Order: sequence, then structure tokens, then C-alpha cells
Amino acid sequence: MATADGPGAGLLRTAADRLERGWEAVLDHPLVWLAPTLVLLAVFQLYPMLEALRMSLTDASLLEPGADYVGLANYLDLLTDPEFWGMLRVTAIYAFASVVFHVLLGLVLAVAIDYGVRRGLYGNVSTRVAVLLAWVVPGIIIGLVWKVMLVESSFGAVNHFLGLVDVGPVPFRSNPTLALVSTIVAGTWRGTAFTMIMIYGGLQRIPRELYEAARMDGAGRWARFRYVTIPQLKPVIFVTVVLVTIYALNTFDLIFALTGGGPGRATQVLSLFMYQEAFTDYKMGRAAAVAVVMLVINLVLTGAYVYAFDVTEEI
Amino acid sequence: MGDTDDPRPDGGETAEERVAPGSRALAPRLPTADPLAHLRALTLLDLTVYLYYALTAVFFLFPVLWVVSASLRPAGELFSYPFRLLPSELSLTAYERVFDAGMVTWLFNSTLVTLLAVAGIVAVSVPAAYAFSRFDFRGRRGLLGVVLLFQMISPIIIVVPLYSVMSGLGLLRTRIGLILLYLGVQVPFSIWLLKGYFDTVPRELDYAARIDGCNRLQTLRYVLLRPVAPGIAVVAIFNTVLTWSEFVLAYTVLGTAGRLHTISIGVYKFQGQFGSDWRAIAAASVVGMVPLVVVFIGLQRYFVKGLVEGSLKG
Repeated sequence: MATADGPGAGLLRTAADRLERGWEAVLDHPLVWLAPTLVLLAVFQLYPMLEALRMSLTDASLLEPGADYVGLANYLDLLTDPEFWGMLRVTAIYAFASVVFHVLLGLVLAVAIDYGVRRGLYGNVSTRVAVLLAWVVPGIIIGLVWKVMLVESSFGAVNHFLGLVDVGPVPFRSNPTLALVSTIVAGTWRGTAFTMIMIYGGLQRIPRELYEAARMDGAGRWARFRYVTIPQLKPVIFVTVVLVTIYALNTFDLIFALTGGGPGRATQVLSLFMYQEAFTDYKMGRAAAVAVVMLVINLVLTGAYVYAFDVTEEI
Repeated sequence: MGDTDDPRPDGGETAEERVAPGSRALAPRLPTADPLAHLRALTLLDLTVYLYYALTAVFFLFPVLWVVSASLRPAGELFSYPFRLLPSELSLTAYERVFDAGMVTWLFNSTLVTLLAVAGIVAVSVPAAYAFSRFDFRGRRGLLGVVLLFQMISPIIIVVPLYSVMSGLGLLRTRIGLILLYLGVQVPFSIWLLKGYFDTVPRELDYAARIDGCNRLQTLRYVLLRPVAPGIAVVAIFNTVLTWSEFVLAYTVLGTAGRLHTISIGVYKFQGQFGSDWRAIAAASVVGMVPLVVVFIGLQRYFVKGLVEGSLKG
């Protein structure tokens, strides 16, 4: 204890003070707070993306080490490959149908629940929970759940019920068209929760006075929906459409488990096409070119999203 | 986490669902206390909405219930007449098969990866969100834009180079590699969401703490952490779902290292092996979704918050 009062104590205290002040100066620099994030983003996002870009210019293969630069050959190759265009067609159909069903189903659900809550109906929360539950199920398992639902013999659940009205058994996964329909249904099953929640939130932000005013003008229920609700929801619906389009275009796990892209290439969307090129055909260069195409599509849609939301205002 | 800040019971109606003033004139509230009076007062539109609720519930719940029902059957019953909605007798043989195939390992791996990844995501994104909310520095807007960009770009794009990237870093077939990758992928969303929470806390609180002699770290810890706690809860729960469910990144990073496989990989491999045993596939699916469904039922309103705020704030 004696040393606490000795001359060394003062020195120690100044040293501690200096350390304290140094520490504070360090904490006053934003980079300290952001450093872990920046490192993670650089290593696990930016670097792989640049690596994809680089690989897309090579003839890299998983079968042999080393690769030569081939310029834009992979891209030209893709553009002249009918399979690539067939896959783009499948992707476009999948994404378009997904967006339409997501938004329609979500819109009707949101409007119905909004009405139900105001009117005092039972089951508003239960309905919402049922929809959200589907969204929580992991993608791979959603694929398997629907595989079990759509078993192609008359013992399958859906085929059994269709059998009751003398339809089927329907080859849900081995018929190319039906397989695509099945993936769209399963995708909608998962994603509707998102559109429902987004649009429901949008409905709550519509000023009630608008409805009152419309009523004063003699607008009926349908007219109020058509001329008040829909125009007011437009921004929310646009943002939702962009986001759902991004999700749909990047869907992988659900389709991977449900159909694996088959039969043939009937349900092979962009991400599955890329995956097969890389890990089944070992054409890494070509697969990387597909990844870059996906990256560009993602960037364009992000641009649309930023434009829609005017995020820059908020920054 | 954050429960004390919000008196509403979990899973209850959110504030927006309370009846807005003025709605009475548009749609008179039905009596809800007396079911008979409720029934008598129903209009055609009410009945249509009820019918729609019923159809929705069937569409969204039936697949899950059917898988549960299929998983509990004795061997062979799924493919014998007559068709039954419910098992004739309960049997757990399908579950035995799934657990024999390594379900305990998968559950353990998924739990470990999820817990560590979520803890890491919170630990990294809270300081970053604080910095974006409280510092004014050159390039802040640009950096926020970059974070948004990384949030919007799907991680599926990096799957192709991932193998060589991860092996270059010596992280291939390691848990820590997968966890760090999840951090890189999911931190942007979490930062944007948390920044929104920090922005709602008045800066006067910071100034007061600084006058009391707190440095920035102490200010964050003792003053700001409480008001943003609900946001941290949303981030934690949302990332729990995303991490637990994730498949393609884990499959690529962990590859053939079977003892590290997470639930999604395990279940996927399992169904490849027992392709036509629908009972076993159903059982595997049930085990894979039960943990998340339980979390979800308990904390439903955080999911709604995450869905809305995660996308609305960018």
C-alpha cells in the first residue's frame, strides 16, 4: 500500500490518464467501429464477386487445375447456346408467375385481414400466423414438403383429392409444364407472407380521411377500393414487386429439393443452371459467366428498388 | 431481449391492428362477445372473408399437417387403401430411421453454427450501425450505399467462386469458415435495420452521457443499448431463421465433411438416399422445421417487424 502514495503513483496515474485519453481518441474514429464489417464485406462478398468476374474470363474447370484467359468466350458461348435461352425462358416464366401470384394473394389477404380487424371478425391473427408459418420453413424442407404433397400416384395427398373428382393421378413433377407449375405453387406458398405483411403495412398508412371523403362523395365499397386503396398502395406494391422479383430470380433451395431442375431442364432457373454448370459439368468459367449475368440482373433490380424507395433521401 | 420495453404479449395484435378512429362509420364492428349475435349480424362480405380465411388456412397449413401425419405412420400404411388423413396407429419408426442417419449430429451442427453466427452478426453490426448513426464522416453515404448493395445482391452469386475462395483462405470444410461467411452475407441487412433503431434515439442522450464522463463505448453500452434492444432482438431472431434455413452456401463450404453437415444438408442428402421412403422424408422434414416453428410461434411479432423494417429501411 505504501507505494500508492509514492512518487511512482503519480507517474502511473498520468500513464493511465494518457491511456484513457488515447483509448477515447481511438473510439472517436468511425473506422474502429466499422473495421470488422469492412473486413467481412471485403473478404466474403467483394472478393468472391471479383473472383467470379475473373473466373468468367477463363476456361477454369474443376477437373483440371490452372486456367487460361479466354476473353469473352464464355459469354459468347452462352449467348449462342439454346440451353441458355431455354433456361432464361424458364426463369422468366417462374419469376413472372411468382410475382403475380405473390402480389395478388398477398394483396387479397392483406385487404381481407385489414377488413376483418376493423369489422371485428374472428381468426385474423390465426390466418396471418398460418401464412407466416410457411415462410419460416427452411427452403430445402419446403421442397420436400411439396414433394410429399405431390406424390404422383393416387396415394399422394393432392392426387387423392383430385381423384375424388375423377382427375389424375397427375404427374406433378415428371411432366415439364406441371413441374414448373409445382415450383411456382411451392414458391408462392413460401413467399406470400412477405407480400401480405408489406401490403398490410401499406394499408395502415393510408389516411382514414381519404375514405371518409370518398364516402361523402358517394363512393361505394368497390369505388373506394379502386380509387383510394389501390392508388395509395402503388408505391408499396412497386417496392414489393421489385423485392419479390429479386427473390424469385435467385431462388435455389426450394427448386433444388423439389425438382432438382428437372425433368430435363424444365424447372432449371438461373441459379440451378449456374450450379449445374459448375458442380455437375465442372465448367467453372461458364458458370462464373452465368453468375455475372445474375449479378447484373441483381444490380439492375437494386437500382429499381433504390429509385422506387428513394433510399438516398434517408441516408 | 427487449420484452420489457414492450408490454404487448407475444403473438398478440400489433398496435396498428387496433381499430382506428373513424373506422366505425365505414364498417360497423360486429359483436364479438356473443357468438350467436356475431353470426346473425354477418353480411355476405363477412362470409366471403371467412371463406377466404378458411381456404387460406387450408392452403398454408395442410402441407405441414400432412407431412406430420405422414411421418407418424406405421411402415406401408401410406401406400395402402383406404386413403387416411390421420394415421391408423401412431408409429415412430420413421423418426428412428432419421435419427439413425445422423439427425442428432445435424441438429447439433445447425444449433452451433446458428448460435455463433447470430452472436457474431450482432457483435459486428451493432457497432457498425452505431457508427453510421452517430458519426459524420466523409464517405458515409457512399459506404451506406455499398452496404445496401451487398444486402440486395443474393449470396447465390458467390457460390461458383466460393470453393476456391474458401480453400484459398484455408476455411474450406470448417465451421468457422461457414460462420464467417454467414457474417459477411448477413451483416448488411442487420446494419440497416439497427441503424434505423439508433436513428430513433435522440442524440441528447449521447451528449448527456458524454458530460457524465462516459466514452463512446460506455455510452453505447450503458445508454444506447437499452433503447435499441428490440432492434437487436429482431436482428437476432431474423438471422436465426436465415442461418438455420440456409443451404447452398453451407453445402458448398462443408462439402463432403459429413460430420459438419447442418440440418438442411443432412435432410437433403437423406432424401437422396431414401428417395422413395416418403414416411422417412416426412419425418426428416418435421424434425428440420420444428425448432424454427417453435421459435416463430413464441416470437411472431418480431418476425413481422423484421419483414417490414428490413425491407422498408433498405
